[in-house]
Amino acid sequence: MVKLKKFNFSKWWKKLNVKYSISLSLLLLIVTTILYTVLQANIFRPGTLNRLLTSNFRTWLPVILVTIGQAIVLLGGGLDLSNGSIVSVGNVILALTVVSSNEPGKNILMVLIVLGFGIIAGILNGFFTAYLGLQPVIITFASSYIYGGLALLLLPNPGGAIPRDYTNVYRNTSILGLPISLLFIGVVILIWAFFRSRKYGRFLYAVGGDANAAYTTGVPVTWMKISTYIISGLLASLAAISYSLLTGSGFSGSGAEMALASVTGAVLGGVSMSGGAGSVVGAIFGSIVLGNIRNIISSLRLNSWWRTLVNALVIVISLAGPGLVGLFRRKKIK
Amino acid sequence: MNEICLQTEKIKKRFGGVHALRDGSIEIHSGEVLALVGSNGSGKSTLVKIITGVLSQDDGQITFHDNPVQYNNPMVAQKAGIMAVYQELSLVPSLTVAQNIWLANEPVKKSGFVDDKQMIDQTNELLKLFQGTYQPSLYPEAFIKSLPPDEKQIVEILKAISRDPEVLIMDEATASLDSEQVKRLFSLVNLLKEEGKGLVFVSHRMDEIFQIADKAVVLRNGKTVGEVAIAETSEDEIVYMMIGSEAEIVKQPAYQNNEYQHETVLFADNIQFEKLAGISFSVKQGELVGIGGLRGQGQSTLLHTLFGNNAYYGHISIFGAPIDFKHPMDAMQHDVALIPGDRASEGLLLLRSILENFHLPNWKSYARPLLNINKARRDAGKISKQLSLVMDALDSPVSSLSGGNAQKVVIGKWLLRNPKLLLLDDPTKGVDVGTKSEFYTLLHDLIDRGTTILFYSSDDQELLRLCPRILVMHDGKIKADLKGDMLTEANLVAASMGSTSNSKNNKELKNG
Repeated sequence: MVKLKKFNFSKWWKKLNVKYSISLSLLLLIVTTILYTVLQANIFRPGTLNRLLTSNFRTWLPVILVTIGQAIVLLGGGLDLSNGSIVSVGNVILALTVVSSNEPGKNILMVLIVLGFGIIAGILNGFFTAYLGLQPVIITFASSYIYGGLALLLLPNPGGAIPRDYTNVYRNTSILGLPISLLFIGVVILIWAFFRSRKYGRFLYAVGGDANAAYTTGVPVTWMKISTYIISGLLASLAAISYSLLTGSGFSGSGAEMALASVTGAVLGGVSMSGGAGSVVGAIFGSIVLGNIRNIISSLRLNSWWRTLVNALVIVISLAGPGLVGLFRRKKIK
Repeated sequence: MNEICLQTEKIKKRFGGVHALRDGSIEIHSGEVLALVGSNGSGKSTLVKIITGVLSQDDGQITFHDNPVQYNNPMVAQKAGIMAVYQELSLVPSLTVAQNIWLANEPVKKSGFVDDKQMIDQTNELLKLFQGTYQPSLYPEAFIKSLPPDEKQIVEILKAISRDPEVLIMDEATASLDSEQVKRLFSLVNLLKEEGKGLVFVSHRMDEIFQIADKAVVLRNGKTVGEVAIAETSEDEIVYMMIGSEAEIVKQPAYQNNEYQHETVLFADNIQFEKLAGISFSVKQGELVGIGGLRGQGQSTLLHTLFGNNAYYGHISIFGAPIDFKHPMDAMQHDVALIPGDRASEGLLLLRSILENFHLPNWKSYARPLLNINKARRDAGKISKQLSLVMDALDSPVSSLSGGNAQKVVIGKWLLRNPKLLLLDDPTKGVDVGTKSEFYTLLHDLIDRGTTILFYSSDDQELLRLCPRILVMHDGKIKADLKGDMLTEANLVAASMGSTSNSKNNKELKNG
């Protein structure tokens, strides 16, 4: 047996909770993952685990990427409800244009255009909310319809086909036993960790915590807020690419459900709706928990309305949770 | 004399129609502490915000080391070496002490990563300046939201000092500190003085001004009225400068009606809640009692507490019976009404009609069991006539009314209930002169009918004109209960600055 260093669990847990506020989502992640694996037949047969990991993460990657973007926007005190529609636009563009693997130059250009669209959409969201000071809920809800309408205009009926050589790479590649989608999440976390521990990260949490105080202290508040929307747009475009590689086709409503899922995932992962608290890793956990719940319901072969009900309950509880705590405290005082 | 470090000349600033500053001119010298003094609305805080780049002036010039400068945001001002300790702290509650102190000024490693270890070490260094005056709950990694007000204030001060500013402005920096902490701050200020920094000290505590400042500049109604050397002046002189020449007019005794004044209507004993640090007073029926003092000394909190909005500690009795309001509805049942100061957020449903606003607290009395809308209309018409409300129709939305008329609706809706105790929370803020005088007549009518009124106003002139008795609040306590001969502007201003020197009238003060 390997001798473990003396380990103070409660201290470690507290640090996890206070510093990263991910203890709850970590707990949920462990519980739902165990439940899910228990429900799988043949879990101990070699290869099953890898198969599950691959199939789940390639499905989850688009939502997880969108959730990361949402978490960053929320941390800065904003809200991006248009990220799902940005996914739709990206997906539609790719499905219409990337039809043959014989023209790699053109395909790369289209990918760049999709990324560029995400950035521009983010700049627009940021300009209206942070620079002009309009309500993020209203602005991004409205812009989600604009981007969604654009997707519908480009591709009224589902269709288009991404070449198989591309989709197979995404669907089936594993490096060191880990699926490419999971590795990609790891890369995104590393990139985020890089910015998180520089001034950018400090500024972000300060702006989300109290924009006024941050401004008087000399933090470039407007620019910080705009940047979060740009990051969210960019990540939504990456989600569009992975979604297109996953499904191999285009659909103008492909991202429609992602906006709410991204908010729920982020909040479930400990990111505060009012900004300044939470972490990106927590948001990823939250998103995986949502995925697990979906899988558990389908493995139990329950009616699909159960899925809707549980999803709705998760949304209500995770969004109302902080308020409920306050409600009980208030009662206690009186 | 030390050289001038920063100078502001004739700074003007307007917010909408209100002139916050008409002529803000100060000179900050290196190695000197300048006290900035003035009563409510004299423009102190506005001037501070303009110097630090939070606001920009409409007119006027700031000169820093003989160079004209214009700071459009706090970032630029800070780079130039101008820092402020703000009254409404500039701390992010969800960040730690160290993160707040070094925000936007983080020590960075060569690689560009924030150097957390150095940040914490330097924070510990800074905390030593106040060692022994705070609880162990204050340490570099503690979250700001978990700290009590005095420790937050210490962090705010250390944050400003950590940037090694050339000009340091302290806007009410001592308001939440205890005496030992103030002592530490002052030794720190003296240290900075020796280093040749320019220091500005804004305070409502007269004793502290005399303790720390070298000079005092007095602002009145947004204008600089004069500068005095502290060594050559007295508290009385500064109070006199704050009041100005208007005070020479002999004050008419305020209207009073003694007919009802034999029964105690309101009795408060040792009320404590948030800022309120033990408030005790009693009011007789038919009295019109003013509540004065500088803004934010707990006046609004007191009124809201009396109305049942806050879970307080202490005893309140109304008409001799102890009460414990848990909800404004309880207060309403006891014929208590509160007219809030912020009409847009606390007083009116802006989009709804005037009629609906009038009757919002009163619909119950028109149910029999169906709503008697005609009677409601008649009553609303009557009260709007009584208040001479200028409007299109009872059905037009409140948002169509001017500020003064909108305030009349707020007053009217409570008058319809015939309250016996009326609490007024700065009701004439942003109201035109004509409406104000109508409002004064209305208050007189009400006392004639035996209504008891508690009236908080941030306008000293208004209080003096209207109230035969004024309770002056300072730091959450009642500093003075002024009536009769003692009720002079000098005493009011002195008490709101926490000074206890009492003189019978202004004349004496001027001669002495």
